[in-house]
Formats: sequence, structure tokens, C-alpha cells
Amino acid sequence: MKKFFKSALARGLLWQLVGTLVGGGFVTGIRAVMGLEALGRFGFSEPAWVFGGLIGTLTFLGGSGVVSDWVKWARGIPTHDHHEDPPGWEKFINVSLDHKVIGIQYTLTALIVLGLGGTFALIFRTELAASGLQFLNGSQYNTMVGLHGIVMIVAILLGIAGMMNYLVPLLIGAADMAFPRLNAFSYWITIPAAIWLVSSLFLGGFDTGWTGYPPLSARAPVGMQMFFLAVFVVGWSSILGGLNLLVSVARMRAKGMTSFRLPIFVWASIATSLISLTATQLIGLSFQMVMFQRLFGMGFFDPAKGGNPVLFQHLFWFYSHPAVYVFILPGLGIISELLPVFVRKPLFGYRWVAMSSLGIALVGFLVWAHHMFTSGMNEYLRVPFMYSTLLVAVPTGVKFFSWVATIWGGKIETPTPMLFVLGGVVVFLLGGLSGPPNATVSTDLHLHDTYFIVGHFHDTMFGGFVFPFFAALYYWFPKATGRRMNEFLGKVHFWLMTPSFLVLTLGMMRIGLLGMRRRISDYDAALGFDTTHLVLTVAGFLIFTSVLVFVYNLFRSMKKGEIATGNLWNSRSPEWQVDSPIPAHNYAQPFEVVGEPYDYGLPGSKFVEFAKPKP
Amino acid sequence: MAHTNQSEALRLGITIFIFLALLTALEFVVALALNSIPLLVVVALVKAGLVMYYYMHIYKLQQESGGGHDSYEYKTGTNRLGLWLFLLSDSFVFGGLLVSRFNLLGFTRPHLSQVLGLVVTVVLLVSSFFMNRAETQMAHGNKKGFLGNTLVTILLGAGFVIGVVGVEWQLAAAEGIRASSMVDGGIFYMMTGMHAFHVLTGVLFLWIVYRNARKDVYSAEKHWGVEAATVYWHFVDVVWIFFYPALYLIGSVA
Repeated sequence: MKKFFKSALARGLLWQLVGTLVGGGFVTGIRAVMGLEALGRFGFSEPAWVFGGLIGTLTFLGGSGVVSDWVKWARGIPTHDHHEDPPGWEKFINVSLDHKVIGIQYTLTALIVLGLGGTFALIFRTELAASGLQFLNGSQYNTMVGLHGIVMIVAILLGIAGMMNYLVPLLIGAADMAFPRLNAFSYWITIPAAIWLVSSLFLGGFDTGWTGYPPLSARAPVGMQMFFLAVFVVGWSSILGGLNLLVSVARMRAKGMTSFRLPIFVWASIATSLISLTATQLIGLSFQMVMFQRLFGMGFFDPAKGGNPVLFQHLFWFYSHPAVYVFILPGLGIISELLPVFVRKPLFGYRWVAMSSLGIALVGFLVWAHHMFTSGMNEYLRVPFMYSTLLVAVPTGVKFFSWVATIWGGKIETPTPMLFVLGGVVVFLLGGLSGPPNATVSTDLHLHDTYFIVGHFHDTMFGGFVFPFFAALYYWFPKATGRRMNEFLGKVHFWLMTPSFLVLTLGMMRIGLLGMRRRISDYDAALGFDTTHLVLTVAGFLIFTSVLVFVYNLFRSMKKGEIATGNLWNSRSPEWQVDSPIPAHNYAQPFEVVGEPYDYGLPGSKFVEFAKPKP
Repeated sequence: MAHTNQSEALRLGITIFIFLALLTALEFVVALALNSIPLLVVVALVKAGLVMYYYMHIYKLQQESGGGHDSYEYKTGTNRLGLWLFLLSDSFVFGGLLVSRFNLLGFTRPHLSQVLGLVVTVVLLVSSFFMNRAETQMAHGNKKGFLGNTLVTILLGAGFVIGVVGVEWQLAAAEGIRASSMVDGGIFYMMTGMHAFHVLTGVLFLWIVYRNARKDVYSAEKHWGVEAATVYWHFVDVVWIFFYPALYLIGSVA
């Protein structure tokens, strides 16, 4: 415990509390002097909460010490380039500049936040198990749904950041990311944001769901503001993380790693980062505009003042649609990365797969208004957005053809990571096939805001993120710890989660087609959905149980797992050619790329060659 | 550009400034006499192109940086790419604001003081000119010239913020353009406020670089901090090159 209280995390949290109180108190004082209402329903008034939140975020960063090197530079004091971390576990709750430590920090935070988001889901899923209101009121239900959405989005952003941070420098043969301090900053800024997100629960919640549409969001309780603030801050993590990754790949590659010898996961990370670098600014801007509308009465989205609520939806979806490609592209990259290892065959159509990620990202910028077919936007926009959306199926189809052709005729092995890869392919296929009905205007007018959509996007999120994320965890856990995870428990996890999940989403699609609306706390018993909803709730609990099995396996394997320091999966990738776990600054000897990355099963072919150690 | 001599580089800076000044005058006249939106867009693009090429040296992104991955030169190339990606990201905020402005106000504009608008625009443009001189002199090891020109830039930047926030906002409020009145007020304060925030951070950045230069942190060969502050400062100017016509010149007064 002593180590905890001395950690950067504890210091940051303490300073966040102090900063929030000082900032909020400052505004309260000024309001009292000006004769405005000084106190609100939740202690501080709304402007005091927002300002306090902003100051608290800054003091967290100052207090945790993640910006101290930059402060030194600003004062003209040089700093050391190489930092050493202490050997124990406490490096994970302190500021580290090692990309592998930061990757693990991201991943562990992602798992915690995933658990939180899952808990919110179980709460409102239980409420839905029978018609009528059980134990939540409407406002609580809405807050739970909204928090489930946004908390899961944050968890996914953290999860992909974890994978990209841990893997990309190893895969390209770099000693670290291009900007290690910026990397640490991108991670640490998510902690105060996560706290603001959860705080919204206690500040009146918010009724809008995770999309935060005005005009409702312009008059929801203070919790809405904390939600906006949190997403704005998380956005910076995403933007700066994407920037760091793009520069790292551009500037830090090993000798011989030309663009078409990059691992597919790196290509996927490039595509993802291009979106998060640019589009994220627009969700930040749209949320800021609502915040200012609430604080200063600006009329952006208020028709009475000449504003336009549909403008918010355009700005919001300009990020939030491409964001789903941010969520899935790294996962699809993991699938392409692992399949050849476990079928012992070259990846089919490497160049096409590499380009398909970029294709999805670029087309993804042109499809946002398909979320708005029923919003009252100009009707002539519908058909072009329908076609651009359907176009996404082409590069996605390229990936599926590649996967199927890679599996075809291979010697398939099915350890736990491969099971999750195959599960991901199947589930993502379901998500992909249920997409075009939503993209087509005529069918979407019926499907919009039904549970069919809910089933569709849970399939894409699980197939594109959750399954590959678990595959990556099982696959690279030995790299990070030197021990492997328990195979039996891994298989229990998979065989419990996959069928339950299929029941869940197919059931959602079924009741959606029959007319079940999403985001409502109650439904008419005469619709006959009670049994299906009960089944869905049970399936939800089974998924949660399977994740508990995973968490148990994770902690148990850290201490008692079978020792595995060598090339466990017989991979060609450079990180498996050296012992696990990899020390700080990665490879002791640099490597050179001398062949194709995925030529599994071709005798005599080589991907990387390490330099001889100096005598 | 260490291979050219200093007076040549400074002369180029003056030539570019004269072009920018002429284009700004042209813009003003076009807006008052013709009110041609395509022409205003073209002028703004040409101005931004000139600043990005001759003042921000965007072509340096393509330069091969020699030396190993640990050399200062290579790291500067890496930093340069990072900074430009940041500017790309930031320009999406300003792009979003421009989109919002045209979505909400169309081709009408708020009733603002034309004289003040032109004055602050010229102040920011002149500050870019001095910043270019400052960087050129640092690149040639002229510390004294760098300090003097940076100080002028800082003062002009502060003058711009005072002009916009201290004077223009008060004038607009007196005209009835308030944040909480109709949406043209909201857009005006949001756009100028977001830009003024960037100017303020730029001033802070320049102040840090100024102090460090006095402590001899930089040299003719190693002055990435100066280059970064310079590029950021010119970027803030580029944003205003688009915001000025969007707020003051395009369309008719509502």
C-alpha cells in the first residue's frame, strides 16, 4: 500500500481532487461576488463544475509528473533520454516512458473499463428481462445506456492503444515510439477523463445516450457537461496517440522494412491513426459547442436563435462513424496477423489486405450521414451517402477473401488465440452482412433505432475488437510476461462466450425486426418479447461470467503460468525471435528485413535477420 | 537554409511580405467592390500557400535528414513531421468552425468594424514577417537579431489579442452581437475566441523560446525549439488568413 500512495497515480488523483475544488471554488467565489447563483443542485453550480473539471484535469497531469520533462525543457533544462523503470509491479502505476509498459498500462486500464461498461450493460439488461419497470426509473435507465455506450467506446480506444503501443515498435524494430513522453501523456490523460465520465453518474446523469444530441443535451443535468468534458479529454489521448504512431512508423523502421514488407497490423494501425488524428477534432468541437451553448447561451444548435441541431449531428458523425473503423481496423489487422501463423501458410493477397485497411479508412470519411437518414437532413444527401456506405463492403470483402483463402488448405492448429481469431471472423461476418440493410435508405427507414441496429453493431464491435483483442492477449501474453496463459481456462472462456454472444446478437436482431425500439426502458408485454429479452439477459450474464474466467486466468497465469520464453507459436515475426519478456529499448541487436513477412511453410524463406552480437 | 547567406534570406522574407500585403489589400478591395466569393477564396489560398512555403518551409518535410537515427538532424526531421501532423489535426477544428459558420450563417456576415478587422489582420501579418526575420537570424547564428525580432513578434501578437478580445469584442457587444443573442454572435465569439486562444499559446511558446535563447540554449545548427515556435506562429497566421474573409468580407451584412 505504501508503494501505491507514493505512486504517480495516487499523486495525480490527489491533485485532481485539489484542482477541482480550487477551480470550482474560484468560479463559485466569482459568481457570489457578481451576485449570480453561487451553488447548484450538486454543490457547485454548472460553470463551477466545468471549470473545476478542467483545472482538475490539468492538476492531475502536473501532479502525476507526466509533464515534468516538458516543463524542464521550457525552462531550458536538458533531460535524460533514457529512463529506467524499477523492476517491480509499481512501474505500472508510475510514469514510464517504455512503450511496452505504456502498452500494458493501456491494456489493463482497458480491461477495467470494459468490466465497468459490462456492468452497466448487465444492470439495464436485467431491467429489460421483463416488461414493466423493475428497479430503475427512466432517467437512471437512460444514464446506464449512455454510460454503457461511451464507457465501452473509451475501453475500446484504450484497448487498441494498448495493442498498438505494445506491438508496433516491436514489429517495426524500433527502440520505442518516436515521442515517448507524448506517449506517456496520451495514456495518463485518460485517467482523469475516466473519472469525469463516471462522475456524471453522480451529477444527475444524462438522458441522451452516448451521442449527446442537442436539444436534449443542451438541457440535461450537469452530468451531461462532465460527459462532454470527459470525451473531449479522451479525444486528446486518441489524437496524440495517432500522431505518435504515424511518426514512429514513418521514421523508426528497421533497415529493409519497406512499405510492402510492413506487418499487416502496422498497416491497420496507420489507417486507424489517420482517422483518430484528424476526425477526432470534430467530435471535440461539436461537444465544445454544446458546452458553450449551455454555459454562455450561444445559439449554435438552438433553432430559436437561428441555430441548427442537425449541424451537430453532421459534426458528431463525421468523427463517430469513422471512429468505428478506428475500433475495428486494428482487430482485423490482428486477425490477418495471426491466421498465417496458425494455418502455416502465407497470407493470401498481402498487398490487397494492406491497402484494404487504408481503403476502409478513406471511404470511412465519406459515409457519416448514413446515421441521419431519418434526421430531417436534406433528402438529396441520402442516396450518395447510401452508395458511399455500401462501398465500404468492398475493401472489407477483400479482407474476408484473404482470410478464407489463407485458411484454405492450411494445416490448422487451434490453440486459444486461434479460436478467438476464428470466432472473430465468424462474428464479424454476421456484423458485416447485417450492415447493408442499415445502409440502404429504404430498409433503414424501418430499421433505424431498432434493436436490429444494436445487434448489428455489437457483432461488428465483438468481431472487430473484442475477439481479436482476446486473441492478441492470449497470443502476446507470453511475450509480455514470459509465461503462457492456461489453455483449458482459455477454451472455457471461448466456448462460454461465443455461443452466448451469438444468441445475444441474433436475438437482438430478431426482436429488432419485429419492432423493438432501442434505448427505451420498457416495452409492451403484448409484443411478446418477454421470453426473448429474458434469454438475452441470461446470455449477457454468461458473457460476463466467461470474462471473469478470463480475468482469473490472467492473474493466475501471471504467477503460476507455464514458463514460455521462446518462440512459442513458431512465428516469423521479429519479436518472437528473442527471449521473453523483452527488456527496455527492445532489441539488443538490430535486425534487417530480408524477406516477406508471411511466407509461412515456404522452406528456406526468411523475414528478418539479426545482426551478429559484437564480441 | 544555411547555404544561402543571411541578407539574401532576409530579402526573400521582405519580398514575400510585400506580396502578402498587396494580396490583403486586393482582398479588401475585392470584397468591397465586387463581393466575389470565388476570388476571395483564391486570394486566401494563395496567401496561405505563400506563408506555408516561404515562412513555414513545408518543403523541409521532404528533405532527407542525414546521420544515424540518434543524430540531432534525424530527430529534428522526426519532430518536424510530428508538428506538421499536429497542425493537420488542429486545422480540422478550424475547418469544422468554418463549416459551422457557413451552415448557420450562409452568405451573410455579422456587422463588424471593417477598420478594426483590417488593422488586426495587418498586425498579425506583420508579426509573421518579424518572426520570419527572427528565425532566419537564428539560423545564421545572429542571437541579438533573433531576440529583437522575437520580442517585436510577441508584442504584435499581444496587440492582436488585445485588438480582438479587448476592443473588437466590446464593440461587437455594443452593436448587440452578444454570445447569447442570435447565432451569428455565437459563431463570431467561438471563431475569434478559438483563434485568440491559439494566438495566446503561440505568444507563450515564443516567450519560452525567447527566454531559452537568452540562456544560449539554441545555436545556428541546433534550434528545433525556435523552428517549432516559428512554424506554429505562422500556422496561427494561416488560420486567420481564412477566418478574416469568412468573418469580415464574404457575403452581405445580416
